[in-house]
Amino acid sequence: MEGIVLALFLCVLLALITKYLSIPPIPFYIIGGVLLGKSGFALVNSDEISRFFSQMGLIFLLFFMGLELKLDRIAANRSSVLTSGVIDLNINMVIGFVAAYMFGFSLLESLVIASAFYISSTAMAITSLIENRKLMMREAETVIWLMMFEDLALILFLAIISAGDQNPMLFFIKIAGVLGIMYIIAHYGKEFLISLLDRSDELPILFTFGAVLTTASFSMYIGVPETMMVIALGAALATTDPDAFEMHARPFKDVFLVVFFVFFGITINLAGGVNMMVILIISILAVVSKFISGILTGIFIHESALAGIEIWGNTIGRGEFSIALAALYGSPIVATTIAGMVIITSIVGAFTAKYCTGLRRWMTMPGRRRVTHHSHGH
Amino acid sequence: MALRSVNLPGVGTKYEFETDKGDIVAIFFTKTATIQMYTLQKGCHTPSAAEMTPMEARRLGNILTGAIIEAESESVEIAFSALADLRITIHTYLIQKSIAGKTIEDLQIRTKTGVTIIAVSRKDKNIINPPPSFVFETGDAVVVIGETDQLKRFEREVMVD
Repeated sequence: MEGIVLALFLCVLLALITKYLSIPPIPFYIIGGVLLGKSGFALVNSDEISRFFSQMGLIFLLFFMGLELKLDRIAANRSSVLTSGVIDLNINMVIGFVAAYMFGFSLLESLVIASAFYISSTAMAITSLIENRKLMMREAETVIWLMMFEDLALILFLAIISAGDQNPMLFFIKIAGVLGIMYIIAHYGKEFLISLLDRSDELPILFTFGAVLTTASFSMYIGVPETMMVIALGAALATTDPDAFEMHARPFKDVFLVVFFVFFGITINLAGGVNMMVILIISILAVVSKFISGILTGIFIHESALAGIEIWGNTIGRGEFSIALAALYGSPIVATTIAGMVIITSIVGAFTAKYCTGLRRWMTMPGRRRVTHHSHGH
Repeated sequence: MALRSVNLPGVGTKYEFETDKGDIVAIFFTKTATIQMYTLQKGCHTPSAAEMTPMEARRLGNILTGAIIEAESESVEIAFSALADLRITIHTYLIQKSIAGKTIEDLQIRTKTGVTIIAVSRKDKNIINPPPSFVFETGDAVVVIGETDQLKRFEREVMVD
């Protein structure tokens, strides 16, 4: 218990510093965890309680993602979401997978690394768009929809990776069953849920916490991935009153997720045969491959390669979802490799998000070679 | 002028419109409870942005709806151009010790000055349309409505007492 207190205290300090400097806190939570854990000063060990907290963090992160998934909105924007999403998925998955496989990781390990390599941090992208005041740019909308597509792709990965050695028929029937129950509750209980969330006593927050926890433990009981199911729960409940659910789930997510990051760092073992060169090369590739996919997206969506620089600059940071994949499916070496990549790309990403607009302006300056495509807003 | 509003997942709500002259104004209500306003002049590529708290955004809204905010911080003049250019000023004052304990009737506010007290804010409670028997306390914030001259008289004759 003292361990968690110490870890939380460190996180409060780190949160203060990173907010003050307006840089993403996630890499620093992980670094803080590494320093506290067995690879650092060995002050804190993970135990039953911290593992439970961490799991809650992961589950609430995914539930929150589900709440934000606006399937109807994605369907309405199908063409542009699909174009940018498919470019991003293909290029980054392929580069990530080939790189990991060439460094000698197994097929499954390479798949996990490639998924973590592919998926950018939604939190960092959106925070950087807001803080750097880029919301009005056309590219900002592309970035936001790209993040939505990546979230959908994550659900698919979770299904594929965790299907594992189960009977696929039975597995999908179980999933369909749980989804059906959720849909029925959200559809027929809508009025009741909305009136429940409207109360000012402890009921709304108790219900939110209970619903997420029940879904997670019921999924584990019948052997379907709880991660996928809490996302589905979020998406189902988003059809009732998503703002209220976000408000009631936010405190749990905020606290547990920080515990999740810091304890992820604490369990990292740097002595376990991790090759720093491999981490560095994968991180550089992670920056480069988002550059390629960003430029292509810029050309296909905005008819301007320069628009791609803006997309690139805001999607370099890998974060919460990469760490989630590492914590769920990564062997210690895979987890450390992903952690290294998250730390490097998110710090690089914080800088590119700030300065890519300047870089782009510098590239269009008169006197430099004429660039054929100009980025017109609309 | 075409107004377009979009709900951006994870960010908030965006309102955007293009003026007749071709300038673009975009407003974002973000989930972090800040409001960002962007303006993009026709022919420019980089917008300029201002970030506001909800309070600041409301003040800006007041200005844009045509209310003229005077130099003093808490005074608003509203001009009804359709009604023979009728101008009404709303002003807030803090009740000083000198008139605490007196009622609106005691002070003969309306007969002496012409202004009307339309609301009183006491601690966290608001009293709308206080009755003549209403007793002031030190620290009450009163909202007074009238013409500029009447408000000047109110300041001279009532607030000084």
